[in-house]
Amino acid sequence: MNRRTLLGGLFAAASVPALSSCASGITSLDSQGSTSGGSGSSKGGVTIGTANFTENQVLGYLYAAVLGAAGVKTTVRPNLGTREILIPALKGGDIDLLPEYQGALLHYLAPKATATEEGEMQNALALALPAGLQVLPYGMAEDSDAFAVTQETAKKYGLTSLADLKKQNGKLVIGAAPEVKKREVGVIGLKDVYGVEFKEFKSLDSSGPLVKGALKKGDVDVANLFTTDTDIVANDWVVLSDPKNLIPGQHVVPLIADRKADSTVRKALAGLGNVLTTEDLTELNRQVDKDKKDPEDVANAYAEQHGLTRRA
Amino acid sequence: MYELFSNLGSWLTSGTQWSGSDGIAHRLAEHLQYSLLATLIATAIGLPLGLLIGHTGRGAFLAINLASFGRALPTVGLVVLVFLASGLSMTPVYVSLVALAVPAIVTNTYAGMTAVDPDVKDAARGQGMRGHQVLLHVELPLALPLIMTGLRLALIQVVATATIAAYVSFGGLGRYVFDGLAQRDLVQVLGGAVLVAAVAVVLDLGLAGLQRFLFRHRTA
Amino acid sequence: MTIDWSWISGHTDDLTTLTVSHLQAALTAVFFGLLISLPLAVVAHRVRFLRGFLLGASNVLFTIPSIAIFVLLLPISGLTRTTTVIGLTVYTLVVLLRNTVEGLDSVPAKTKEAAKAMGTRPLRTLLTVELPLALPVIMAGVRIATVMSISLVSVATYIGDGGLGQLFTDGFQRNYPTPVIVGVALTLLLAVVADALLVALQYVLTPWKRRRA
Repeated sequence: MNRRTLLGGLFAAASVPALSSCASGITSLDSQGSTSGGSGSSKGGVTIGTANFTENQVLGYLYAAVLGAAGVKTTVRPNLGTREILIPALKGGDIDLLPEYQGALLHYLAPKATATEEGEMQNALALALPAGLQVLPYGMAEDSDAFAVTQETAKKYGLTSLADLKKQNGKLVIGAAPEVKKREVGVIGLKDVYGVEFKEFKSLDSSGPLVKGALKKGDVDVANLFTTDTDIVANDWVVLSDPKNLIPGQHVVPLIADRKADSTVRKALAGLGNVLTTEDLTELNRQVDKDKKDPEDVANAYAEQHGLTRRA
Repeated sequence: MYELFSNLGSWLTSGTQWSGSDGIAHRLAEHLQYSLLATLIATAIGLPLGLLIGHTGRGAFLAINLASFGRALPTVGLVVLVFLASGLSMTPVYVSLVALAVPAIVTNTYAGMTAVDPDVKDAARGQGMRGHQVLLHVELPLALPLIMTGLRLALIQVVATATIAAYVSFGGLGRYVFDGLAQRDLVQVLGGAVLVAAVAVVLDLGLAGLQRFLFRHRTA
Repeated sequence: MTIDWSWISGHTDDLTTLTVSHLQAALTAVFFGLLISLPLAVVAHRVRFLRGFLLGASNVLFTIPSIAIFVLLLPISGLTRTTTVIGLTVYTLVVLLRNTVEGLDSVPAKTKEAAKAMGTRPLRTLLTVELPLALPVIMAGVRIATVMSISLVSVATYIGDGGLGQLFTDGFQRNYPTPVIVGVALTLLLAVVADALLVALQYVLTPWKRRRA
């Protein structure tokens, strides 16, 4: 009884500022004429949201660098959280642009999607995206999810592919970011596609200190990492192969709200997508994680070196 | 909003949600373990410190200022700092929770001690009581109500903050909050929050009961 | 664990921005907290049966983990500063409400009767007699609420805000202690400075206390 009334009070208190923020979101949509597929305008500036791992921030600042060079005002909001948090924020108008990954995004929107080839996925994405959002052409760089084990674990259980995990059903502990428990490219897909069942799922982080620390310490047997993480090679970890193509291609792709997707933005981001390679991205991640450089500085330096900051 | 609360009902009452290593029963036990152990350690540090300062009257200014300084310590920062220094273990969580609880215990213990009537202390000394006897038999019982207030405040804060254990990969009810955030599963977040609040309220009522019991015992 | 001094000197602009943003979140929350607490406290002070309910309610709110409040606000106010401020405001209530009620309680009945006898209207009595006399206790609450809010802002880093708290997630993800140490130090500094300023403000606002002392 106490509780209900008191939560009522909380939301009553919350509703005043909330209403005003909703209202502004709606007006901004209206005034920018958000018709699906139509061209928006980046005149008012673009807010770039990024997820809670290094690479996404590097990509966000790279977007900012090339957009800035094209004369678009940008704001980067680092470390906002997971895709599950970011996409509603994009729809709600808190952010306008987001560096995404083809396959992961597609499976978030359509968990049972079957497309695996880049072009197919791009089409599937266009269909699966909610009104008001669109993906721009995907870039060359790719960063896949990887399921990795230590050399010792690989030898001990004879693991080389994801299919081998089934033989150890109920024995192994997997560590990944919390959202991976509910994702198709994650625990759900591993069970559906490979019939793998783990003894335990440990909620850790996205190829960050927790999951890598736990793999090193032996707290988890299998870790969900990103292929652009230089620690995989540095620690000689074994990435399990994926014979049944559970993990789709993960080319970097800009996800943007229609209201901001004008030709200036498209052109600038396409320019970046055609230059940035997987190796480049891996190196930029390394500079941030290991050399402790700022993602912003690393991104600006890269854009400059590759002639991306010259005005077209 | 209605949907969220009705889903909360089924989340809290489903049998599968209660069992297993990610079940409510296990998470509840972990949360209690973190909170009670941290409060116990904080009491072992804060109580003697507060009593000593109150009894001798020395170091009061320093202690009170340190305590208010301690209140400003950002728990998230402290957890990360200790994590980076000591690696993946429960140490960062316990250090942060203890740091959170000690100031409340020290300041309230000290306040309780200073509230004891000096005439009463003089009378006790006049009867030939030694310093430590005055402390144990006169000051401590009289300061007890405020000491208990400090303990209760510390415990409530520790229970709410023990959520942070989940940020550095451990369990407790915070698991639901952090996993729910990552998965944008608001029912899970609300479930975790309601359970944490319930634990805090129940423990607080328990301590209040204990306080009443101790108080009655003394005046009888 | 060593401090990388060059990082600090290279980031003075960022640190300034984060510090200002941090302080702004905390102060806005205390401001709204006061705005909500003052009328509620007057009600709690005058209406006996509501008193226990309001104080109890603010106590229970205090037991909800702050991170959960931020997340639960996401459908309402999104990834915005508003979410941070509402969340923090909820936590200030427990201190501000209790202290304001206690402050009003501490005003001697005789003083109020004197005001009434002089024909002062109730609202005027409240504004010109009761609240000023309750001010020291209210200000004590404001000080605690401010320091508490400053320490709590960083929790909002989990929803992409959090002022100096962003330094904590950054340092955590990159295994880089320097930003974390700087963030903790600046938070403490902010709390100490804000507290000192509030003490000064109280000194200015309560001249009668000075004369007596």
